[in-house]
Amino acid sequence: MITVQDLHKTYGSRTVLSAVNLRFPSSQLTSLVGPNGAGKTTLLMMLARLLKPSRGDIRLDGSQVTGIPIDEYAKQVATLRQTPEFNLRLTVEELVAFGRFPYSRGRLTRHDHRVIDDALAFLSLTALRGAYLNELSGGQRQMAFLAMTIAQQTDYLLLDEPLNNLDIKHAVQIMQALRRLCDEQGRTVILVVHDINFAANYSDYIVAMKDGAVHCDGQVSDVITERRLSELYGLKFDIAHNERGYLCNYFKPSGNLE
Amino acid sequence: MTVKTRHTVWVAVVALALAFVFVRSGFDFEYVIPKRLERLATMVIGGICVAWSAITFQSLTGNRILTPAIMGYEAVYLLFQALLMLMLGTRSLMLLGEHGNAALSILLMLGYSWTLHRWLFRDDRDNVYFLLLVGLVLTMVITTFTQFVQLKMNPGEFSILMGYSQATFGNASATQLLYATLIVATICLAGLKSLPMLDVLLLGREQAISLGVDYRRCVQRQLLLIAALVAVSTSLLGPTAFMGIFVANTAYALAGTYRHQVTLPVGCAIAIALFILAQLLVEHLFNYKTTVGILVNLVCGAYFLSLMVRTRGTA
Repeated sequence: MITVQDLHKTYGSRTVLSAVNLRFPSSQLTSLVGPNGAGKTTLLMMLARLLKPSRGDIRLDGSQVTGIPIDEYAKQVATLRQTPEFNLRLTVEELVAFGRFPYSRGRLTRHDHRVIDDALAFLSLTALRGAYLNELSGGQRQMAFLAMTIAQQTDYLLLDEPLNNLDIKHAVQIMQALRRLCDEQGRTVILVVHDINFAANYSDYIVAMKDGAVHCDGQVSDVITERRLSELYGLKFDIAHNERGYLCNYFKPSGNLE
Repeated sequence: MTVKTRHTVWVAVVALALAFVFVRSGFDFEYVIPKRLERLATMVIGGICVAWSAITFQSLTGNRILTPAIMGYEAVYLLFQALLMLMLGTRSLMLLGEHGNAALSILLMLGYSWTLHRWLFRDDRDNVYFLLLVGLVLTMVITTFTQFVQLKMNPGEFSILMGYSQATFGNASATQLLYATLIVATICLAGLKSLPMLDVLLLGREQAISLGVDYRRCVQRQLLLIAALVAVSTSLLGPTAFMGIFVANTAYALAGTYRHQVTLPVGCAIAIALFILAQLLVEHLFNYKTTVGILVNLVCGAYFLSLMVRTRGTA
């Protein structure tokens, strides 16, 4: 379990995150939602140790993360940032093999190869294993990066806007894959997501952030309410809920925007 | 490309080396051949330094059009030579001797890089672009200062200084070579272990950290190795400036993989082969009327362009 206590981040006199206290439930999918500039990505980057908190504690299973060596941390927490545009000539399989670096330090064992095969199969990428990344579509490339993160075999996965720039089918595929990681493999997934409908339909737990603080957090049914979302985004929401899930409609608000 | 291509590069190196030592030597084992072996050793060490430092530097910065020259190491060397010449004149040649000058240059370049890294990496900064910016600005400032110093010299001193500012293989003595070999061998052995880590750095800072690389320490250590390699090569051959760009990019194209275990040796072989080829041409075809630097850039540039055209830019 990852817990966050009294977390602050300031740049000079500007505060981007203040007094955040959270518990991220294990083996569940948690979405961080909220408007731009709310501090979601900042929080995720601090969990990933890509950014140092100005104040406060992050604990992994009770122990402070700053006390864990970075190479050990990589065996417990894997992070996927928004995939960079890179011009490296790399095949999907070579990329996924990087996920084994924390264990093999570059010398792949038979076990590593099996894990790589499993990760590729898990995301149905086996047919693309020899393809070069720069020749893939954005959605396929995102899948390949996710496969690398899965091959890292960590209990925790942190993803920063994994649905960014994806078409709806790829977005659904990614969310289903993350869901299966929680349900079938018991992994804990924490992601930043902008599409409130994906968050509502695929998460177990939602953390809503606004202006550098936690606006509200809880089970999906507690957070996905018309009142809470209206407060969060400053938009009017109509929420339909049936057995297939939630539909949050905010596309044509009546009246003027604030 | 394949393992075969990589072997071909090494075969070419050996063939060129043999040609360099024996062609028109008259098999004179008293003077001509020992002198040529010295130059050959300079080229081998220099080639390793140039290729290794350029490829590593490009991986750290995630940029294929840079060499460590942008950090100003060579500019510091040239400023040092210019100041020596200005203050002591041609007497400085006698006063320091060949070894004194080389040793002082190496120490100065290492001192410069150490200070620079200390300052750049103070309190948690690990922004490589900032590092490049500072390096570039310092290079320009130091170079301008060197030019200013040059204006105060007489033509004789100036022509000696020009000798320092171009890469040549004939200046290093046997003792100097021995020390250089020891330093380079130590650096390369130390560097070998971290080659897979360099591969991971190609994915960028954030992905590297997420895969368990201690980014700051890794970058600092690699920059130190690069500074030492550049210091050795500069003191042996003089500034090589941007030769590393051609060497590195040709190596990537021939190796056909991102892995440093492959690209670094191929790069070293290419650099050595190029140096020998250029030196052969300078000695036998152009009769010392052109410089190695010009030839290397010419040959490399042409070859690299042809590679880009043939592979339609995927190289």
